[in-house]
Amino acid sequence: MVKIDLSKTDITDANTRIRDYGRAGEDVEIINPDARHNIGVGLVDPINVKVSGSAGYFCGGLSDGAHYEIEHNAGWAVGDNIYSGSVVVGGNAGAIAGVAIRGAEIVVRGNMGSRAGQVMKAGTLCCGGNAAFMAGYMMYGGRIIILGDGAAKVGQDMSAGEIFVGGKIESLGNDTMIVDMDAAERDEIMEFLERYKMNYNGDFTKVINAGKKLRYANQEPRARPQPFFVSSNSSNYWNAKVQEDIWIKGEVGRYRIRGYGASKPVPHLNDIAFIKDVNAQHYKPEELEDINLKTTVGGRYGAKPLSLSMPVMIAPMSFGALSRSVKIALARASRLSGISENTGEGGMLDEQREEADQLIFQCLSGRLGWNVKDMQRADAIEIYISQGAKPGLGGQLMAKKVTPELAAIRGIPVGIDLRSPSRHPDVLGADDLVIKVEEFREATMHKVPLGIKMGAGRVNDDIKIAYKDGFDFVELDGLQGSTGAASTEVLENVGIPTLSAVQEAIDGLKEIDAGDDMDLVMMGGIKDGVDVVKMLALGADCTSVGTSAIIAGGCIACMQCHVGTCPVGIATQDKEHEARYDIDLQSQNIHRYFESLRWQIASITKALGYDDVHKVSRDDLVALTPEAADITGLPLLSEHPAWHQPEMGLEVLDRKAG
Amino acid sequence: MCGIAGVLYKQAGTHEIGKTLIDMLDGCQHRGPDSTGFALYGEDSDQLQLRFIVPTEETARKKATDNIATLLARHDATIKSEQSVGCSYQIAVDFDGDLLAFTKDIEEHAKLVSVGHTLDIIKDDGTAHEVDDIYHVGRVTGTHGIGHVRLATESAVRPEAAHPFWATGFEDIAIVHNGQITNYWKMRRRLARRGYTFHTDNDSELVAVYLADKLKQGETLDNVLETAIADLDGTFSFLVSTPNEIGYAKDNLAAKPMVLFETDDMIAIASEEVSLNRLFPGQSINSTEPAPGTFQTWSRST
Repeated sequence: MVKIDLSKTDITDANTRIRDYGRAGEDVEIINPDARHNIGVGLVDPINVKVSGSAGYFCGGLSDGAHYEIEHNAGWAVGDNIYSGSVVVGGNAGAIAGVAIRGAEIVVRGNMGSRAGQVMKAGTLCCGGNAAFMAGYMMYGGRIIILGDGAAKVGQDMSAGEIFVGGKIESLGNDTMIVDMDAAERDEIMEFLERYKMNYNGDFTKVINAGKKLRYANQEPRARPQPFFVSSNSSNYWNAKVQEDIWIKGEVGRYRIRGYGASKPVPHLNDIAFIKDVNAQHYKPEELEDINLKTTVGGRYGAKPLSLSMPVMIAPMSFGALSRSVKIALARASRLSGISENTGEGGMLDEQREEADQLIFQCLSGRLGWNVKDMQRADAIEIYISQGAKPGLGGQLMAKKVTPELAAIRGIPVGIDLRSPSRHPDVLGADDLVIKVEEFREATMHKVPLGIKMGAGRVNDDIKIAYKDGFDFVELDGLQGSTGAASTEVLENVGIPTLSAVQEAIDGLKEIDAGDDMDLVMMGGIKDGVDVVKMLALGADCTSVGTSAIIAGGCIACMQCHVGTCPVGIATQDKEHEARYDIDLQSQNIHRYFESLRWQIASITKALGYDDVHKVSRDDLVALTPEAADITGLPLLSEHPAWHQPEMGLEVLDRKAG
Repeated sequence: MCGIAGVLYKQAGTHEIGKTLIDMLDGCQHRGPDSTGFALYGEDSDQLQLRFIVPTEETARKKATDNIATLLARHDATIKSEQSVGCSYQIAVDFDGDLLAFTKDIEEHAKLVSVGHTLDIIKDDGTAHEVDDIYHVGRVTGTHGIGHVRLATESAVRPEAAHPFWATGFEDIAIVHNGQITNYWKMRRRLARRGYTFHTDNDSELVAVYLADKLKQGETLDNVLETAIADLDGTFSFLVSTPNEIGYAKDNLAAKPMVLFETDDMIAIASEEVSLNRLFPGQSINSTEPAPGTFQTWSRST
């Protein structure tokens, strides 16, 4: 056994060495750990790691197949997201022990902190002492064995799995019940305890989900798909969509869910135009090829940045909200156009990985489909905090879409109305996030960029936190950003418009002298290359398109994405519906749409007199409305000095580029 | 969003509290790189010790200290000694009037950050070691203290917005806080109606004023912490120190971390075990994590 002294070796070096020893089949002992964080994170070889002392946060996290023995205590989130292998903690474990595990065995000989086993999917979490507040919170599967007492709210909001408590239960959580356990179950538990040399002869109380809240009690009636323009027809206040909405609420008596983003008009990029001297530039179409559109994202700390052929990414959209076929088509189109694809929530598909040259892997609060092996084959990692369509809320995936295939990749029960948690188990503040960032860096050997996805709320504060917490890039999503399912109250009313978001972000970064090393990717209602150039001129480094890519690939914008019976095979997991989607045809359509963006971006850049799209600036912009001027600080057209000097031959160039 | 630390030695006598807190805060500096602060309890002085934040630029500093001298004269407080260091101006005064009226007036015109006969609050932008380089915190000995590293989330990075906060109008009381008080404005309006003034938008200042108000009504520290858990909404772990005690309170949701380690001689509390372990390198310690919605206090023998 090799010894690594953590009082002399920093954690990144130590983890690199542990990884190398693991590959070589050699076991490791960590001495002087002194409760340092992220020990043994990201191991994917069957190595034995002995920690002689106490470990800090995330010990053994994001690993698959390794075995850890911690002599004394462990901090928060011991064994985070382990797929297989084991962790034995000799002393106590902090909060969220065994968070999001997918099959490991975690044994804590002492007590466990709050929310043990939160969002775990499979495997066994066993505690020799007492478990604090909300053991088994939001668990989706697996087994928790508590030999001592369970504090308040055991099994709070669990969807599946079993919790066995030997001692007293202070109180049960929402939607749980106590049931009898059979002899076979007890035998399995006793076998487990014997294997880990834990003496126990008492009885157990078995707690499971009571099944009363896994589905909405009242299902919405099927609605006739109505196109987007009907719902946003402002000249007709009590329009057909509004009436229908009221009727359906009268029937189901609760809030409604739909797909897409805010449909009401808010100040947006349409309210801004380019201003230029029309006499300055004449050019031939082939000259556009010389305009530099290349964009790199995520190089702040030396990771290999994403290298995009233009300042455009595909926005994160999940396999789940969208069908497998659509994720393949998007991945292929991203490769054909030299940009990046994003997994969104719910895991990475092999086909998606093969098709996309550059793939961002997104980590959400429920850790659905999240795992170290896919992290290590991603080109960038993105922590989702929230999104423009529903800032502050978790994802929703209605039962129709939670098929056996989808449930398997996410690690959840089949056929529930999945409501993902609104918060990460291990990120309850900017301070915890720092340690999470470090864990992800360790698991990916500091090689890939790490981003944060945020819905636009208090952007001025949030962007500063993102910068200080050490992210390489931020994907910032305004009010108009879309989703596969959210309540209309949130879609229409929560968050700030994309235009306000970009301005707050730029101002916030300036206030802390952040410079320009953290890349800002703006999204939420970007529909063409004109919008892209405006965003860059406002100060963004890149943009991200979701809805428009889907529409290019056949979406009819009926906004019924949540129902699961998408007529064009996009927002569905139903094989019959999905069969309507032609991957070859639609990937080409999406690719050609991206190429139209490229042409627009290049021609506007050229028309504005630049050879590089990253040279456009606020000086190229003018606000067309007082609201847009107020939000962005750009001059209002009627007050622009050039407007009053017609001899300068200026014109406003908007949506007729080239 | 922050890291907190506290230490109290139970037996009489002085200890290297400055050095201890520097070690502990350095251990969790990752939780808050923006600013660092210390509340240190030393010898009981006959004079009232005041520390102000003043501009570092020479002319502006002179103006600020002159202003402070005028304010003190207005309350018959005589300056016995003074010292300028970093962004602060520290003085000792003879004063035996109404402290609340005195500090209320002063706080309206100057940035007063520490008041007490035993307490000294030192805080500035930067890390524990950077603050130590300027203020020589490591040389300070005493009986107990609390400290804080800050990552500014909603209010500005300025020395006066750093922790610890002293409890307005109440000498020798300090708090450090990790978390977020979500009923901040509601509680602030209530306290403002009771005559308290707020000098930052920092929710931790609110915690300090809240505690001071309750203590002023004659409540014990234990009672005050108990009502704080009921009245303050949000996610928090905070530490409070008085001339002879330290205590903690933890929210009902157990959302912010905190661990403690107690021996016959001392109690140490920190956001993370890595800070506690700094005091016992190479050893495993039997730390415990307090349950949600709990509080506890410890006092030293005097």
